[in-house]
Amino acid sequence: MPLRQKVFFLAVAVVLLLTIVDLVRRRRMRVEYSWLWIAAGASIIALILQYDLLIHLTALIGTAVTTSTLFFLCILFLAVLSLSYSVQLSRLSWEVKELAQEVALLRREREQATPAQPGRA
Amino acid sequence: MTERGVLLVLPAWNEAENLEAVVGELRSVRPLDEFLLVDDGSTDGTGAEARRLGVPVLTLPFRLGYGAAVQAGIKWGLRAEHRLVVTFDTDGQHDPRDIAGLAEAAAQGADLVIGSRVGVAGAHSGSWPRRAGRRLFALLVRALTGLSLSDPTSGLKALGPRAQALFAAARFPDRCPDADALVLAQRAHLRVEERPAHMRRSRNRHSMHDGRAVAYTGNMLFSLLVAAMCREADLRR
Repeated sequence: MPLRQKVFFLAVAVVLLLTIVDLVRRRRMRVEYSWLWIAAGASIIALILQYDLLIHLTALIGTAVTTSTLFFLCILFLAVLSLSYSVQLSRLSWEVKELAQEVALLRREREQATPAQPGRA
Repeated sequence: MTERGVLLVLPAWNEAENLEAVVGELRSVRPLDEFLLVDDGSTDGTGAEARRLGVPVLTLPFRLGYGAAVQAGIKWGLRAEHRLVVTFDTDGQHDPRDIAGLAEAAAQGADLVIGSRVGVAGAHSGSWPRRAGRRLFALLVRALTGLSLSDPTSGLKALGPRAQALFAAARFPDRCPDADALVLAQRAHLRVEERPAHMRRSRNRHSMHDGRAVAYTGNMLFSLLVAAMCREADLRR
């Protein structure tokens, strides 16, 4: 791997990692949701410093060239990311539904406890 | 424990127009039952109309959809310890006189009783895709559970305490629980039965679970298959 490439991709990875840490620090992102991104940044760095890793991996999964392996890893990462979003979204929508129902039930309980004044439907 | 009688859960989304007729008929046929209208984020004053008619209202803060609206009503029934919760659509397609048959089956030990329009003389059976869908789901439910239920998509249901508890679970299918709900009920070892129901033509064009029929069918097929694979622990989630 040429030095120019190494420096460029290292810079990208470092910026990515710093952005993630900053987002978590400023409470814009929850720690639970940051690990996948940290893993992405860390693997970029690992692959730059240990290019052999990528070559071994290419041999292991049987792809023709290292770039294919890289593309595959990127797509896999994005797929896992959206899968985890789907899971989180599902959980959130269940929680929102539960909350909305609970609000309705509590409101009804309160209405029942204090009957509406006459003239106020 | 002071057990209470029958609670009629009436899910409603923009049904203000029909409400007076539907509630009037329900009251004349079922004078002893408690009513609870679940206003699923209506924008046409359905909630106000129900209050005007003296029907207690459970107001959802925004539209959650048919299944979640019904579920909210069931939760109320469960907490108030009603021995039976009957879900009854407010678009005028259900006949209040069928409730007696459902309640009787429940009194004889059924946990979940479905009102079935199949084989009932004069019952409005819907367009052909609907009939075909019903047949398909009935076949699938039978294949998956061995239960012979002719009308698994019916919204007219009677739920005893065990069924109420199952349907109130946080992650129970809440889009439009029908065929999948029956499979889940069977997996939870509930006694599921059906009784005849005289369905009529809906009073309005927008039946709550109408439209997007293809998406519905797809979702339901998948939901059915997954329901058949649920373990006991999954049912309580």
